[in-house]
Amino acid sequence: MSQKPNTPQPPRWAERLLERIIAPHLREELLGDLYELFQKRVRRFGSSQARWLYGLDVLLLLHPRLWRRNSANQHSRHPQTTDYSNPALMNMLSNHFKIALRKLNRNRSHALINVLSLSLGMACVILIFTLITYHLSFDTFHAHQDRIYRIYTEFHDDKIRYNTGVPNPLGTTFRNEHPAVEHVGRIAFLKKRVVEVSPAKKFEEDIAFADPEFLDIFNFPLVQGNPKTVLHERNTALLTERVARKYFGDEDPIGKLVHVDDSLVVRITGILHDLPPNTDFRSEMFIPFDNLKDHTPWMVEKDWWFSVNSEMQCFTRLKPGASAATIDATVLSAISDKYYNQDMAKYFRFKLQPLADVHFNPNLKGYTEKKNLWAFGLIGFFLIVTTCVNFINLSTAQALGRSKEIGVRKVLGSRRGALFWQFMTETAVMAGLATVFAFLLAYLALPAVNRLFEIELSLNPLKNVYLVTFLPILLLIVIFFSGTYPGLILARFQPLLALKGKISPRQMGGFSLRKSLVVTQFAISQLLIIGTLVIANQLRYSRQADLGFQKDAMVILPVPNNQKSNINTLRSQFSEVAGVENVTFFDTAPASEDAGSTGIRFDTRTESETFPITIKAADDQYAPTFGLQILAGRNLHPSDTIREYLVNESAVKALGLPSNQAVVGKDASINGRKGTIVGVMKDFHNRSFHAAIDPLCITTRSENYSHCGVKVSLANLGPTLAGLEKNWSAMYPSSIFTYRFLDEDIARFYKLDNMILWLIQAFSLIAIVIGCLGLYGLVSYMAAQKTKEIGVRKVLGASVFGILWLFGKEFFQLLLIAFGLAAPLAWWVMSRWLNDFVYRIELGAGIFVPAIAITSIIAVLTVGYRSLRAALANPVKSLRSE
Amino acid sequence: MKGDQLGEFEELVLLTIAFLYDDAYSVAVVEALGQRLERPMSLGAVHRTMQRLEEKGLVSSRFGESTAERGGRRKRLFTVSVAGEQALQEVRRIRNELWDGIPKTAFGGSMS
Repeated sequence: MSQKPNTPQPPRWAERLLERIIAPHLREELLGDLYELFQKRVRRFGSSQARWLYGLDVLLLLHPRLWRRNSANQHSRHPQTTDYSNPALMNMLSNHFKIALRKLNRNRSHALINVLSLSLGMACVILIFTLITYHLSFDTFHAHQDRIYRIYTEFHDDKIRYNTGVPNPLGTTFRNEHPAVEHVGRIAFLKKRVVEVSPAKKFEEDIAFADPEFLDIFNFPLVQGNPKTVLHERNTALLTERVARKYFGDEDPIGKLVHVDDSLVVRITGILHDLPPNTDFRSEMFIPFDNLKDHTPWMVEKDWWFSVNSEMQCFTRLKPGASAATIDATVLSAISDKYYNQDMAKYFRFKLQPLADVHFNPNLKGYTEKKNLWAFGLIGFFLIVTTCVNFINLSTAQALGRSKEIGVRKVLGSRRGALFWQFMTETAVMAGLATVFAFLLAYLALPAVNRLFEIELSLNPLKNVYLVTFLPILLLIVIFFSGTYPGLILARFQPLLALKGKISPRQMGGFSLRKSLVVTQFAISQLLIIGTLVIANQLRYSRQADLGFQKDAMVILPVPNNQKSNINTLRSQFSEVAGVENVTFFDTAPASEDAGSTGIRFDTRTESETFPITIKAADDQYAPTFGLQILAGRNLHPSDTIREYLVNESAVKALGLPSNQAVVGKDASINGRKGTIVGVMKDFHNRSFHAAIDPLCITTRSENYSHCGVKVSLANLGPTLAGLEKNWSAMYPSSIFTYRFLDEDIARFYKLDNMILWLIQAFSLIAIVIGCLGLYGLVSYMAAQKTKEIGVRKVLGASVFGILWLFGKEFFQLLLIAFGLAAPLAWWVMSRWLNDFVYRIELGAGIFVPAIAITSIIAVLTVGYRSLRAALANPVKSLRSE
Repeated sequence: MKGDQLGEFEELVLLTIAFLYDDAYSVAVVEALGQRLERPMSLGAVHRTMQRLEEKGLVSSRFGESTAERGGRRKRLFTVSVAGEQALQEVRRIRNELWDGIPKTAFGGSMS
């Protein structure tokens, strides 16, 4: 045919696809039709659209009529060639499908085990996938999100510390002086403020004070209100729909007045759409930034460049093409140089943090690190591997039972390819069923996962594009990896041997491969078990270790107003409540991530020390109430202003002094305020075990007291708490009474670790269950293989134990090999995890011995029953038929 | 019999085959019908209908010449069979009867 080589051709893949599935008698005319249409369209619309339409036409052609063979009444006109050796693909597929269903129906228990283990593994993977995509989707819905940055502060000491906040004047300066910026918005987050709708309706709410630009930078659309004016006028507020409904029910919220704490009355001027679950902005009430000085004056008092509060943040959207690195180096660096003296300019550095990093940067209060997500991804991968391995083991073992079927099929002219595809169809049917189950399982498990992580995952394939693409891909991967190998084995059977029932292990495709598969499974299970043990032990250690202070039976209450008279009244009233043993006022509990740190100049030294010292404000009752040990000197005397300091041993060490006695009685200037060091406390863990004990000091300063700690007797907790509430509410009628227990607060330090523990426990359990199923499959296969051998051995006088050992030996070998692989890997991974803890357990025999013991016991239980049955079988039965 | 009844689309395709007479094959039908109905239609839909018509014995088909325009493949040409013609006549008769039977005043309301 005279075709110019440059004639546009229809898409090759579409033609190929069609050629495969089309019934032979329609092949020529339809391909011709499509070709003709294509050429016409090339002339009319151009080749790219023609190709697109070609694909569309092919899709629209898909219909049973396309692959159905000529019906009988057309024999006369289209003589059918009865060439059964080359049937159309669709006919073959439907036959495969039918056979597959019959097979599954016949071996229901086998199918059930397979589908179950597949769906367990897949359900986990679906959940892990959803979790990962959920976290990756955080704050990705803002327009031009790649140009949005948060400005943060770096403190350059001997090491760098990070703070999410910036000094108050920075935002305005940045906006006014620098042209690379589209918008700059300052925002201050204030947690748990009291919003009063009416005296009877009070709510605790996280609120935010924001510049109007906030709504330009971020995509939080208004439902009601004028986008041009909201957040401009003082004493107004925006609410989300959810909060508006909570406050006002069905009434129109616009124009309503609410009180915020005792300091502000705001009018609602706008309503925002509910916040999507995947944003780190959780405040649902926005008030103009200008109002902040009426509500919390200390956050904005005097344009202070030296105060950095992590909740006082600044976001910006750069102009297209502006480079963040350049701005860091020029603009922000220039700001430091301009507004600080030379020394301080080195200390205060400002940088841009991409919005995409906000959720993942642990230095800047990100929710989780990306490496945690990838670790979960890896676990998911392991689970899929064990699942597929398991499927391979079970089906290869089953293949033995099908040798007759394969033999007959081969004798009747079935080709390797056809047998292979038949098996793949079976796998596909099972995997398809498993996907459905897996999705259901994942759906059922979702509420529990959401509760555990305090997140709002949803599994809706219609809304989640990633999930829609992921599910089929997962299905294909599972089908491919678990079906290929057994399929090839089956297709390779020699028909003669197969019919005779003499399939040798060699023909079964090297027992060694299946052994290595079992080793893989064992190794994965052991890896997960070791992980579980390490995390569980470390967390138990963190929970039970002596923290150096009393954390049990401590109730912590907020102090909304810390005027001296209030505190003194509260102290005396609380002391009279039955069950109260001690009362103390302070700003932060002994262990707290919120304590601030500052500089110290000791005694007569002329220079400030290079290390920062953590400072806590607390009254004289703090040490006795929390059971802090005084090693030298004495406790603080009662006072309301800074006169005396208590320091801890670490501080003494950091000061470079030989003994605790050496500091007692010396003066120190801490945070610029002078006082006498009167005592040295024994070190206590002032943060979680993730961090080392800091140099620390405690001083009396009643204007900082924000909390009240009450040591109670647990015997009669209910009435005691009621008594506390009565007095507290009488003192602070406009606030909401809340209390926490110190030990719960401390447990919260390990929230993320606990989540990981919970997950890895669940995953290792599932891996073990799946592994057991696979092991059972393997041992069944071995037992069937060795029937004759066992018979002969028994006749020759072998004991039951000897025969059990025949099986056991095999598996213990595999188990040990697996352990040899898993242990170093687990050691490496888990020591990296433990590195996040300054105070940690040692990885030793205490971890590894139980791990191998657990796997051995599980293996013995799984293998034991089947092999015992084989060992107890009557040799006459197995030997009679030869 | 139900199987002998003509669907609306089948009737249109059958008429188009008659209309195109000597050059009635699927692409031509798609184009002719597409123009008249002023809506896009897929080759698949038309082709399936033509298959169905052939199974009902209303059209017969033969292969035509192979051309370069079609990548060297032959086209299947359709001719309306006697049974097909009868079916078309029958449909037309029923329609005409109904049209004739419509009282003059029936459409009065909307036409005034």
